[in-house]
Amino acid sequence: MANTSLVIFKKDCMGCHACEIACKQEHRLGIGPRLIRVIENAPDYIPIYCHHCTKSPCLASCPVDAIVKDDRGIVLIDNQLCIGCKECLEACPFGAMQFDDEKQVAVKCDLCIERLKNGEQPACVKACATQCIFWGSTRELSARLDGVI
Amino acid sequence: MGEIKKVRTACRNCHGGCGVIAHVKDGKVIKVEGDPDSPLSHGTLCSKGLAVTQMAYHPDRILYPMQKVDHNWQRISWDKALDIVADKFRAVVEAYGAESIVIGQGTGRDYESHLYRFANLLGTPNVLTAGHMCYVSRVGATLITCGNLPVADWSGEPRCIVMWACNPQWTNPDEHKGVDFWRAYQKGAKLIVIDPRRGFLAKKADLWLQLRPGTDAALALGFLNVIIEEELYDKAFAEDYINGWDDFKARVKEYPLDRVAHITWVRKELIQKAARMYASGKPAALQWGVPTEQTLNCTDCTRLLTGLMALTGNLDAPGGNAFFVPPPVRTVSQFSRHRDLPNEQRHKQLGGRQYPLASRVALITPKVAWDAILTGKPYPLKAGLLCGTNPVITRANANEAYTALSKLDFLAVIDFFMTPTAELADIFLPAGTWLEQNHVADNWKRHGYILARQKVVEIGECWQDHKIFMELGKRMGQQWWDTVEDSLDYLLEPAGLTWEQFKEKGYLKGEQIYYKYREKGFSTPTGKVELYSTILEKWGRDPLPKYTEIPESPVSRPDLAARYPYILNPGLRIPTFFHSANRMLPWLREIRPDPIVEIHPETAAEHGIDDGDWVYIESPRGRIRQRAKLTNGIDPRVVVAEHGWWYPEIKDPGHGWDTSNVNILTDNSHESMDPVMGATNLRALLCSIAPVEKH
Repeated sequence: MANTSLVIFKKDCMGCHACEIACKQEHRLGIGPRLIRVIENAPDYIPIYCHHCTKSPCLASCPVDAIVKDDRGIVLIDNQLCIGCKECLEACPFGAMQFDDEKQVAVKCDLCIERLKNGEQPACVKACATQCIFWGSTRELSARLDGVI
Repeated sequence: MGEIKKVRTACRNCHGGCGVIAHVKDGKVIKVEGDPDSPLSHGTLCSKGLAVTQMAYHPDRILYPMQKVDHNWQRISWDKALDIVADKFRAVVEAYGAESIVIGQGTGRDYESHLYRFANLLGTPNVLTAGHMCYVSRVGATLITCGNLPVADWSGEPRCIVMWACNPQWTNPDEHKGVDFWRAYQKGAKLIVIDPRRGFLAKKADLWLQLRPGTDAALALGFLNVIIEEELYDKAFAEDYINGWDDFKARVKEYPLDRVAHITWVRKELIQKAARMYASGKPAALQWGVPTEQTLNCTDCTRLLTGLMALTGNLDAPGGNAFFVPPPVRTVSQFSRHRDLPNEQRHKQLGGRQYPLASRVALITPKVAWDAILTGKPYPLKAGLLCGTNPVITRANANEAYTALSKLDFLAVIDFFMTPTAELADIFLPAGTWLEQNHVADNWKRHGYILARQKVVEIGECWQDHKIFMELGKRMGQQWWDTVEDSLDYLLEPAGLTWEQFKEKGYLKGEQIYYKYREKGFSTPTGKVELYSTILEKWGRDPLPKYTEIPESPVSRPDLAARYPYILNPGLRIPTFFHSANRMLPWLREIRPDPIVEIHPETAAEHGIDDGDWVYIESPRGRIRQRAKLTNGIDPRVVVAEHGWWYPEIKDPGHGWDTSNVNILTDNSHESMDPVMGATNLRALLCSIAPVEKH
């Protein structure tokens, strides 16, 4: 199975939070769920986000199979199937799974799948002023992390 | 359900300039995105711009003209609102003269052309802006020194970058955006960062100079000392193009490195290294930020930094600090008709003689306005019109600003929300956001671009600021145009374009030429870079730049420091807010719910303060509270507090204006201000801290 992921190069994250607002806007989220989030500890900034893990703990933890990996490897949650049990919030080692209090369901990064269909980048990737957010195949992202690209 | 229409425009959530594609559906903006074709922002957009829909469609936004009747706001028509303002202004002009009306703006949001035109045609020389301590002060100081503002030329590929008290990726750098700086940096330029805080750029820097807040001018003298002593300067340029070279050298000699190190807290060796790196890294670009302007060293610091650029051969050089050539359109100054303000009125400008540089750039420092209101001297100010400004939060000595504005006979404001300042008004005129206006944007900047900010939607009965000045002006018999678009045609005429044509183009860039001085000299009285200023000399001021100790510092006031032992830097910026704006936008407030004061862990421990505790910060002027964030990225002797805080969620008319507002603490005495510009000190004063009692 192909695998697609998101990587934020922490060394170049300057804590401007543009990615967070781009994400909120794209997913029409109010206060509460933060599918991407930057913790400030100046001069370091620590982004919290979904890595679309190859072996996804959130997916494994879901008792109703509401979380799936699509054929590209993007981890998605079906809000209709979600029962709001929060098992996935516990399971995610990054704290990337979020909960929508209003709808009482778990929510997560979908890599802006609607934008990808239109050939656009995820909203966070596009907004980032230091261009430190990358998405793509895990193979390509690994090469980037190794400094090959 | 309608189709999604995409409209290209330009942001103005700060001073703006970033390209935007707005998505409109059923007459409503549902999303904004960065415009990849923008020559300034290249498709990126910051948190503030991205949150504009929450601002435009906010439930608390004022959508109709309002009149305060018996302490209650009531909706009225535009006709009635403008008639009331025009009648009041006419009455003041008749009884006291036009100079008794003060016109004010905040940071200047691309309507200064219209605001100044209104003021000049009204005949008042009293225009209150933020320019005394922000950007215009830099423009003024460079105008008298080298004839124009030298702007960092990122596209010219600098090999060395000096980021002096500036974080262009978090905050608005006015001309070119942080993204262009970042591109230049990533091409391998050396980076020198001058900042009392260890922020993102300090982490990236080859050299980080952690100076004592407010001592930038002394550090600049240190740089100059090294460059002159070690003969690292461009000798031919110094001989040919510096006015008063020998006098200047003699002045710099008064600041040997030991003295500079003592003043600034920066080690001598580090100053040497940095100066050598800058001088030998040609081309080298120096970007400086407002902290250098927000002390009494405002003008001198800018003049010294200009000296650094000039002596190292980086002035008007590609990849250095360039004078960008604007597109051939009418300037803000021409549109504003500054020349039509009668001399008789100009001479009545408040503080005009005391602060001649402020006068030169057509503004007054707020202190002289507050004095006139509170004392009636030299004459009383009776009425005001404030546009996009919240001085009770953003101006030094907030208590005085609040008292003064409360005492005006009549005040009208133009804004989006009922701010603590707006609550003091009699009439509220609702302004359109940048999504609701047609304008030739960025014309006041000095980066060589103008941008088409085109109207995307209309909301409520809000009018763009330009139209408000125009319609009010017409009611007062002033010469304007029928429509905003007609006035834009006039602005664009020299470029051979109409507004409709310009809208299609999106932007216009001037044709850049470097080293213009080789043909024409510099636009100063001597045609040279006036490090010895003939203009300051004519004004009877020190023609040479120097460092003046901050009047409220542990050095100048050890007596006061016994009670207020820390240096407070009350100018901490926040990436999600622009000055006092945006606190009501849910997406942005979620990220920054509380005002933050940064304290070194050792200092905090002495006072029993933990991370996240509410802390009292006190100065000789008053006391506020903010939330502690412990960081070892600052000196233990320094405390750094966020500015711009009020609480829109508090619904009483004060909106918590004095709870966490750093300007309750700042000083605006004449002695604390820049002697020619009237720049207030918003960067270095004395404070004490204590934990707020926990219940």
